[in-house]
Amino acid sequence: MAIPASQRPKPFLEPEYCKGCLRCIDACPKECITEGDAINAATGLVPVNLNLDNCNGCQLCVQACPEPYGLRPQAGPVATDAHGDFDLEDPKNLFGAKETGAPVAKAQPSEEIPLPLGQPMVLKGTYASALGALLAGCRHVFGYPITPSTEGAELMAKVLPKLDGAFVQAVSEVAAINMMYGCSGAGLPCMTFTSSPGFSLMLEGISYMIGAELPGVIVNVMRGGPGLGNIAPEQADLKLMTRGLGHGNTHAIVLAPATPQEMLDLSRKAFELSFKYRNPVIIAADGYLGQMTGVVKLPATMTKPGLPEWAVWGDREHRGNLICSIFLSEPDLEAHNVKLLAKYDAMKAEAMFDTYRTGDADVLLVACNTPARMAKGAVEDLRAQGIKAGLFRPITIWPFPIEGLKPLLPQVKRLVMVEASPGQLEDELRLALSHAGLACPPITPVQRYGGILPQQTEIVAAVLKGGAR
Amino acid sequence: MSVFYEKFDRHSHGEGLKGHSTHYCPGCGHGIVHRELAESIEALGIQDRTVLVSPVGCSVFAYYYFDVGNTQAPHGRAPVVGLGHKLANPESIVISYQGDGDLASIGLAETIATAQMGLPITVIFINNAIYGMTGGQLAPTSLMGQKTATSPDGRNQNMGSPIRMAELIAQLDGPVYVERVALFDPKQRIKARKAIEKALRIQKEGRGYAFVEVLAECPTHLKKSPEDTEKWVKECMTPIFPLGVLKDKSAETEPWWDRKAPSFAPEKVLGLMGVDTEPAERHAKGFPDHFKCVDISFKLAGSGGDGAQTAALLLARTAIDEGFDATHIPSYGPESRGGTSYADVHLAKDEVLNPAAPDPHVLLAFNAPSLTKFAPQVREGGVIIYDSTIITDPGVLPAGRTVYGVPFTGIATQLQRPMVKNIVALGALQAATHLFPAESFMATLRTVLKDKAALLPLNEAAFAAGQNAVGSPVS
Ligand code: SF4
Ligand code: SF4
Ligand code: SF4
Repeated sequence: MAIPASQRPKPFLEPEYCKGCLRCIDACPKECITEGDAINAATGLVPVNLNLDNCNGCQLCVQACPEPYGLRPQAGPVATDAHGDFDLEDPKNLFGAKETGAPVAKAQPSEEIPLPLGQPMVLKGTYASALGALLAGCRHVFGYPITPSTEGAELMAKVLPKLDGAFVQAVSEVAAINMMYGCSGAGLPCMTFTSSPGFSLMLEGISYMIGAELPGVIVNVMRGGPGLGNIAPEQADLKLMTRGLGHGNTHAIVLAPATPQEMLDLSRKAFELSFKYRNPVIIAADGYLGQMTGVVKLPATMTKPGLPEWAVWGDREHRGNLICSIFLSEPDLEAHNVKLLAKYDAMKAEAMFDTYRTGDADVLLVACNTPARMAKGAVEDLRAQGIKAGLFRPITIWPFPIEGLKPLLPQVKRLVMVEASPGQLEDELRLALSHAGLACPPITPVQRYGGILPQQTEIVAAVLKGGAR
Repeated sequence: MSVFYEKFDRHSHGEGLKGHSTHYCPGCGHGIVHRELAESIEALGIQDRTVLVSPVGCSVFAYYYFDVGNTQAPHGRAPVVGLGHKLANPESIVISYQGDGDLASIGLAETIATAQMGLPITVIFINNAIYGMTGGQLAPTSLMGQKTATSPDGRNQNMGSPIRMAELIAQLDGPVYVERVALFDPKQRIKARKAIEKALRIQKEGRGYAFVEVLAECPTHLKKSPEDTEKWVKECMTPIFPLGVLKDKSAETEPWWDRKAPSFAPEKVLGLMGVDTEPAERHAKGFPDHFKCVDISFKLAGSGGDGAQTAALLLARTAIDEGFDATHIPSYGPESRGGTSYADVHLAKDEVLNPAAPDPHVLLAFNAPSLTKFAPQVREGGVIIYDSTIITDPGVLPAGRTVYGVPFTGIATQLQRPMVKNIVALGALQAATHLFPAESFMATLRTVLKDKAALLPLNEAAFAAGQNAVGSPVS
């Protein structure tokens, strides 16, 4: 039923909130609004004049006004003088002091559910990683097919619908990482499987996730590059993952598994770390590890994720939240960076490593991922030939586990860096040594590129030949 | 108007007048659409469920104003960020609010793909024919002849003509509702308000994806008064971008969006992954000592269809079920479909150190190239088994290795199933190496075929035939 004109609210306007665009003038059928003639001292703009004698309360002027607190219908009597002019009241009285009417959200904690005792499984690396994610409570996976990572996504595509989760094959890696940005912004664990060229495409999104402090797990099954390269294993994205996660001041924990078992364990761990720090975590795998089948034992529990207090979930409790990486004012953005830096610093406590026969080793092999296994084999061969060799295997590539390396250094005469990249792991090690104020022992590099991993025999030969730089 | 914050605390910390005025230029169309969106959210009672995705562009700060869940997306990615939210919480109402640079240029792939998927989200597209935030450059929707900072002499053929997004979106199958509206007079504003509310109602009712294109005013970069900009939109834009409903299947589309909460039932997860809760049978007395090492390596090589990878997996699994460590690495030739295919397998008493097998103890070769390539790598004292149906002349093989020719293919053909030649080969491998008792392999076959029990007799027969065919070594 139409409200009679006399009872419809008439508009009112705080001149300070009028930008003088004049869009309301044309809108008014009764010519109640006219162009102003005086500059408002507070805004430097010229607000319109209202003369509401003929006003019928049609609200067309209100609908034309682009300012939320510009023209508005009067709610109850508003003190005006004869010309409909207002004095600027304290906005606190006029609008209320608070920003949002939403309550302050509380974190809903995650739960650990006991798993029945399962027999060891025989799984390939990508599957083990997928299982690790499922056991970490991940039910949302976004991906784009790329060899040699796709099988992880394929498994998720099969399993997730049956668990009422979601697997989405995105239009590109760019879209996939941004679906993660959304899902993670809603507070849920989510992940993607990708490989080097796809990982490159995700860097923009990863920078945004770090900036907006969003968790999420990215499994990068590294393949040969640069460019399209090939689909064989390489480790030449280590630099990108440790030093180049998109633009800006970014870092993320980078985990480097070496066995299918670790693909499960570290994938699971990645979610925990990712939520602990509100930061993405990268699993750096190589093409061999993605495809490699091995024995995988199950953990004792599975995680049922809760909902963090910062989530933009889409309910009343979380309505006041914002996911965002913009800080327009420089001091604000500097403060945000300082906060991120403190977080990166705290992540150093998560450094992980493994050692093999390092007790008396004076030749220390350093390697991660599958090459660490070739190196392990080489340690045995070298020991059989009377050389006191050992293996130091960083499990976190960033932060580099320098504290684990430090106690071994006094006895070490030579480091042997075994990697399928032109020294990207070596660069991390050198940086870590330098930051720790430690001298770098002579280094013998054993490197292969283009999809070929250094083989055990090459490693042994390089050590026997000697020579370092 | 409660859907707007009572104070814009995020706008320069809400200081001074900024606490209650927008960052938009005077007369900007964004403000009007914001009002209409806020009113529509209120009218539908969805404020608590709404997640608004702000784009990059002038409306990057839409989150300053709306008292809803807010997220700010990378340039062009708002619809997929929105999709992530929608899938995380299917109950949420997701609005992707985007300008022309964001939606029709950098985010075109995301825009089209999300529309075609058709999941219920609402896209509000502000088309003002120019880049606002970066300072008035050519937009994908700029008109022919329009002068912008990057088309100083006017848009011409070299830059292509303006893209009509509503038409493009309407011809996809995904969307249920697509309309183009404008803001240049009271009538248009009322229509725009209705279209926005309808697009949201379609989402609220779970009917699908809706897209509203709003022809809006950017007086600043058109270098016109707001009034003249309204006129320009009406007179110059609407002939290129006709107003009206381009698609409306909302009435005949039943509500369909209904997603359950994800399951965290452990049995379900483990069941889907095929986890066994029963311990595997063990038949071996211990690790095969006669190889005189704690880590035995194998190379299984053939071409794509030979089943070398499956045989390798069965071998690894048998060892694992017997309580040892094992690994399998598949390797495909560059022509991975139907090309060469070989597998490295290790069995270790305690731990496989290096899973690669550059000098295997045992080679199983399914074709001549594999035999030629890998036989010289087999270590001294090792075993070579090849398919004598395929390889009629093995040529000169390295001395000091025990070599068996077994007709894998011939036996499989007699069994009427050429595909079981890899199981024949596995039987031959068992008989030639005495790695584990035959029963160990049989147990593995039973485990992996537990859901395809009908295939078991054939596989058992193939295995046994392979075993029996191992005679005395060729050399
Ligand atoms: S309510 Fe209607 S009549 Fe009154 S001033 Fe506004 S447009 Fe004019
Ligand atoms: S439309 Fe609003 S901002 Fe523009 S002149 Fe009128 S009252 Fe002022
Ligand atoms: S530049 Fe144009 S689109 Fe941006 S706020 Fe100003 S008028 Fe609006």
